[in-house]
Amino acid sequence: MGGGLLFLGDVFRVAVKKPPSLHIVSEQIWRVTTQSVSTTAMAGFFVGAISTVQFTLQVKEFGALGYLGGLSTSGTIREVGPLLIAFMLSGKVGAFTSAELGTMRVTEQIDAIRCLGANPLQEIILPRFLGIIVSSFFLLAAGLMMSILGGLLMGMVFSGINPDEYLRHIPTIVTWSSIVSGLFKCFVFAFVLASICTYKGYTTTGGAKGVGRSVVNTAVATMVGIVVADWLTSFMGEIAMRLFLGE
Amino acid sequence: MVDLVSKTIAYTVRPPYRFKDIVHQLHFVAVESAPIVILCVCFAAVVTIIEASFHMKMVVQNDALVPGFAALLILRELGAVVAALLVTSRVGAGLAAEVGSMQITEQIDALRMLGINPIRFLVVPRFVACVLGGFVLSILANLICLYAAMLVSQFMLGYSPGGFLMGMRAFVDFKDLVFAVIKGTVFGAVIPLFSCYYGFRCQSGAEGVGLATTRSVVATSVAIIVLDFLLGWLFSYFY
Repeated sequence: MGGGLLFLGDVFRVAVKKPPSLHIVSEQIWRVTTQSVSTTAMAGFFVGAISTVQFTLQVKEFGALGYLGGLSTSGTIREVGPLLIAFMLSGKVGAFTSAELGTMRVTEQIDAIRCLGANPLQEIILPRFLGIIVSSFFLLAAGLMMSILGGLLMGMVFSGINPDEYLRHIPTIVTWSSIVSGLFKCFVFAFVLASICTYKGYTTTGGAKGVGRSVVNTAVATMVGIVVADWLTSFMGEIAMRLFLGE
Repeated sequence: MVDLVSKTIAYTVRPPYRFKDIVHQLHFVAVESAPIVILCVCFAAVVTIIEASFHMKMVVQNDALVPGFAALLILRELGAVVAALLVTSRVGAGLAAEVGSMQITEQIDALRMLGINPIRFLVVPRFVACVLGGFVLSILANLICLYAAMLVSQFMLGYSPGGFLMGMRAFVDFKDLVFAVIKGTVFGAVIPLFSCYYGFRCQSGAEGVGLATTRSVVATSVAIIVLDFLLGWLFSYFY
């Protein structure tokens, strides 16, 4: 934990001193996005469908079926979407990044970079860090659109609600505050994921076995970190609402 | 994949049963995962309550029904899915890495040479352990999550535990718990099958093991979400 914080501090210092070239970062963004977009879209589709089924069972008792689209979309953008993107990213990109960095570390490529007079944090870690954070927003957008589509289809098939009515209530329930809170959550989760997987990969020791171990450690640590970050952001959001909106 | 699944199930029901291995794996799957699962579902319960209260205030203007809805949501979706995703990232990744490195160091070929069937020797004990583990962990996760939700609704929304239980009684049937446990068991069965499948197909080299692990975790997570959808749809006809 302490080592991780020091590592983060080092990354920040490097980032402030000399920002990485746009070219390398955009390459990383492209790689992460294309790698995960199909998985995220598929998972988003089914999550939209799941939340529509669940919300239907609940709102039917109030005869408020018209709110289904809004509720399902709002729930996805505020809560499930960012969480899902983070889980999918941690399974795919997190594991991949820590394996890649771990292999570089145990085959002494990172030491070689340092020998050549370059800073490995600047050259390797920082582009990956920024790549994960930026591409998580693209993935959130993709997942969200697919979840609206999945919810819409499921709403038509399962609850017999027409698409017009489903879409009409989305703008009334999904407010700007929901969108901001969803984006903020997405940023926080991506940050947690990026710092854990780069740190674990960077500090890998013990050969090929060590790489495997740091991949599994990364998976568990990111899951726990993301759930705790989820709690923290929701809790802070609740407090902020009570303070600023006086509810 | 179909081959692996059918063989695993066939060997599972036929003796000899390898109780010692199963107990050993069960310890890894259920006991060692329990602390992480408990921690995460507690946090997930808090978030559910906060978000449900936000939405109810928006649509119905008050959050009196939040305890009941939250309990329903926990039992139907949250407990089983969160537990399964956590077990996937821990146990599934571990299994894929283990089987994958056995594959690339040719230990699996060695087993075959000695006349031992690798599916019976490696997959079946893990399969049985994960099914039982999924069963136990889904009960544990749901109960802990409900308890955490009760505490949260007392401290953050001001509903007494009695009020929470009343709300729960109004919405939740015993059926819900049964369905949740079925979900947990199915998710538990999916995890070892996917991770062993990708482990067996592991390409050589350290990179291959990493790739197999990544693929198995992603495939399992997607499979869990898809199955969750299918089971949720199926169960919705029984309410």
